[in-house]
Amino acid sequence: MPLTQKNIKNNNLLLDIHDLNVFFNTPEGISHVVKDVNFNIKKGTCLGVVGESGSGKTQTFFSITGLLANNGYAEGEAFFKNTNLITCSNEERRGFLGKSIGFIFQDPMTSLTPHLKIGDQLAEIAIYHKKINKKKALERAIEVMDIVKLPSNRDIINSYPHELSGGMKQRIMIAISLMCEPDLIIADEPTTALDVTTQAEILNIFNDLKNNLNIGLVLISHNIGVIAETSNEVLVMKDGEILENGETSKVLTKPENKYTQHLLSCIPPWIGN
Amino acid sequence: MIKFITKRILIAIPTLLIIVAFSFFMMRIAPGGPFTNERALPPEIENNIKAAYNLDKPVYEQFYIYIKNLTKGDFGPSFKYKDFSVKELILNGLPVSVTLGLSSIIISLFIGSLLGIIAAINRNTIFDYSVMGVSLLGICVPSFVMAPLLSLFFSLYLGILPTSGWNNGNIMNLILPITALSLPQIAVISRMMRASTIEILNSNFIRTAKSKGLNSSYIIRKHVIRASILPIIEYLAPASAGLMTGSIIIEQIFGLPGIGRYFVVGALQRDYTLVSGVLILYASLLIFLILITDIIRAILDPRVKI
Amino acid sequence: MNKNNVKIVEDYANIKGRSLWVDARRRLFKNKAAVVSLILLFFIAFLSFFGPFFLKFSFSDTDWNSIYYPPNLNNGHFLGTDGNGRDLLVRILYGGRLSLSIGVLATLVSVFIGVIYGTIAGFFGGKLDVFMMRVVEILYAMPYLIFVIILMVVFGRNIYFLFIAIGAVEWLTMARIVRGQTISLKEKEFIETSKALGQSNFMIIWKHIIPNLAGPIIVYITLMVPSVIILESFLSFLGLGVQEPLTSWGVLISEGSREMETAWWLLIFPGLFMTITLASLNFIGDGLRDAIDPKEY
Ligand SMILES: Nc1ncnc2c1ncn2[C@@H]1O[C@H](COP(=O)(O)OP(=O)(O)OP(=O)(O)O)[C@@H](O)[C@H]1O
Ligand SMILES: [Mg+2]
Repeated sequence: MPLTQKNIKNNNLLLDIHDLNVFFNTPEGISHVVKDVNFNIKKGTCLGVVGESGSGKTQTFFSITGLLANNGYAEGEAFFKNTNLITCSNEERRGFLGKSIGFIFQDPMTSLTPHLKIGDQLAEIAIYHKKINKKKALERAIEVMDIVKLPSNRDIINSYPHELSGGMKQRIMIAISLMCEPDLIIADEPTTALDVTTQAEILNIFNDLKNNLNIGLVLISHNIGVIAETSNEVLVMKDGEILENGETSKVLTKPENKYTQHLLSCIPPWIGN
Repeated sequence: MIKFITKRILIAIPTLLIIVAFSFFMMRIAPGGPFTNERALPPEIENNIKAAYNLDKPVYEQFYIYIKNLTKGDFGPSFKYKDFSVKELILNGLPVSVTLGLSSIIISLFIGSLLGIIAAINRNTIFDYSVMGVSLLGICVPSFVMAPLLSLFFSLYLGILPTSGWNNGNIMNLILPITALSLPQIAVISRMMRASTIEILNSNFIRTAKSKGLNSSYIIRKHVIRASILPIIEYLAPASAGLMTGSIIIEQIFGLPGIGRYFVVGALQRDYTLVSGVLILYASLLIFLILITDIIRAILDPRVKI
Repeated sequence: MNKNNVKIVEDYANIKGRSLWVDARRRLFKNKAAVVSLILLFFIAFLSFFGPFFLKFSFSDTDWNSIYYPPNLNNGHFLGTDGNGRDLLVRILYGGRLSLSIGVLATLVSVFIGVIYGTIAGFFGGKLDVFMMRVVEILYAMPYLIFVIILMVVFGRNIYFLFIAIGAVEWLTMARIVRGQTISLKEKEFIETSKALGQSNFMIIWKHIIPNLAGPIIVYITLMVPSVIILESFLSFLGLGVQEPLTSWGVLISEGSREMETAWWLLIFPGLFMTITLASLNFIGDGLRDAIDPKEY
């Protein structure tokens, strides 16, 4: 494919997606939830993804990271470091996950293993991918806890998830994704479950990551205000299709698509400017 | 921890008291029971009973004496065996029943959980279907059908294992009874374990573990098992209750001189003191197991407050 | 209170209920294992209740000329005879009558107790609920089978007492399920509306809560009947349940296991009937559960 060829040359590209489709086998037949999507993500930028509930935002990125439910499968191309993440082997994909790609999930409350200490849940990634010992891994854990602005002391390392607040759990989730200095972080509605103040703090962390660590960021959100604040480019999805894709400032000020216009008209006036 | 255990014990005491009260008043209202006057008993037993229960005292005093004796491990004289106290009869049967019960519970927990986990990981494969099929058989063929069938096949047809008897706990004599006793529990436990493992595998925190790129055997060991084993721990007491009742029948079928055997004989001959002694013993054991369950759960699940 | 409004609320609840049942039935009939089990179960029940009329032997007639006949299609003793020359098939069918009836009756007793107990605890809530559920918890911890045996010992081995005793110990799980359902129903709109319309607590429980519990109750019955059948057979096996000349599957299996060295059929066939019945009930129960409360996996 000539297209792919070109993209490999463009070494600023982090993730390049072509004709990606996601299907689910259901009792009612095959349901097609992501339809022929094309987009890419550049280093050090943030791609915002908006769309109503059920529009396929989460499943798009689950398919890339091999996290689809058992009844789901994907077709197409998703190039990351010259590897097609859709067709590569599980071992190859596991080599990227946690190491060069971090994933932050929609629901921080249930996304941490309840019976393991926070320190172990952070350390295990570095132990596994970098083959370092537990002591070193815990030191790294304290470093990343500093990045996500958690008090980097032993208390949190030794506590269990149920002892932390929602905001702290989400910071831990971000810290988990940072353990191995990733190139790409996918954050699926990282702030939806949190109160407004915490939400702003978390978004600040993301801005720092993007600007200081040169990490490519995918930020999925319902909230156009959040997208406007953080992302350089935006993707509008509906029913598994991409309706609009372009620079955030353009899309949000001069939307071409009816649906985007509709979405924008739903934002309370005090958010946009 | 000590505070936690003390609290649990304090909760357990009223339960035990209710059981004791039940067995005491049951013996009082039973026609021909130890506390009524219209009994036709051989004179020696009559005397034993009279001496033990102070029948001329008022009811509450009798109840008090009854409880006081129980705390000393004294269940009273047997109602039918004139030279034995209930305690002696129970102590007689205890080694047999403990051997049988303990090995069965260990075997069922181990094999059941293992089968359940493997079936859950290999969902919808031949292995999964065969485990589930066999465990369905274990649930639908009650132990009193399974036990004679086993002995029909392995003892009478193949002739490789003895049909019955204790034989001082010879392992050959134990294989069939333990198998028959464990099979229904293995069936139930493997199903429970499969269901709970599948639930955990579908949970959000396992998705997080997968997103870390960890390999599956590590995820299973570190993240899945400790969460999915919790329902099995909770099932420890009911499983033991099942084994206790199961052993009543298994001891009967395989002619093993355990507590269950005495219990059946006692029930058929209306040996009230023996029967209520066994009841109190089993109930205390179960309450003790529930305590153990609580402790294990507190260790495995940090969310449980101690 | 406006009668008309009450009517509307009830209709609403009914319509929702009805389409739910249509869906459930459709899903149940798609489940092959459940359908086959349903047919098998009806067949066994039908045979047990009507079969004996068409067989030429009676279940208690001893015939000293036909002792221990193996199964034979020619002489009319299709499943053979026992040590008293009695026809095994007829005895199994009579035993089935008793086992199935005890299974159903004792289950009904326990459903009755469980539903009343559970709705009261769930509906009124508060301290009463806490207390009632604590009682259930305590009873749960008891070796209930041993209780049944003791009850049988004290009150004599009477068949009517048998199913009351079984029913009286089996209601605990039912009470828990019903309580949970009642609590979640209590929050529903149509209950709130009925309350606002001034219906009495009793009427609300009777007209709205209990009908809406039908699903879980039916599922539970199909899962409880087999455990009651096992319990009865267990007692009968030990000689503490059904007494001669009456017979049940448990009695037959017990006799069969004593005589299996001479006559294997006396153990195998009653065991087979029982196992098929238990397996069918299990499949039906699972099928119903999936049909009424479909889960994703
Ligand atoms: N395991 C599954 N089987 C069948 N369909 C599924 C499965 N998982 C997701 N879907 C369907 O895929 C579609 C897209 O879901 P997705 O989770 O991507 O939505 P979303 O855009 O992330 O929504 P939200 O904002 O609510 O998170 C939905 O219609 C959903 O019903
Ligand atoms: Mg989503």
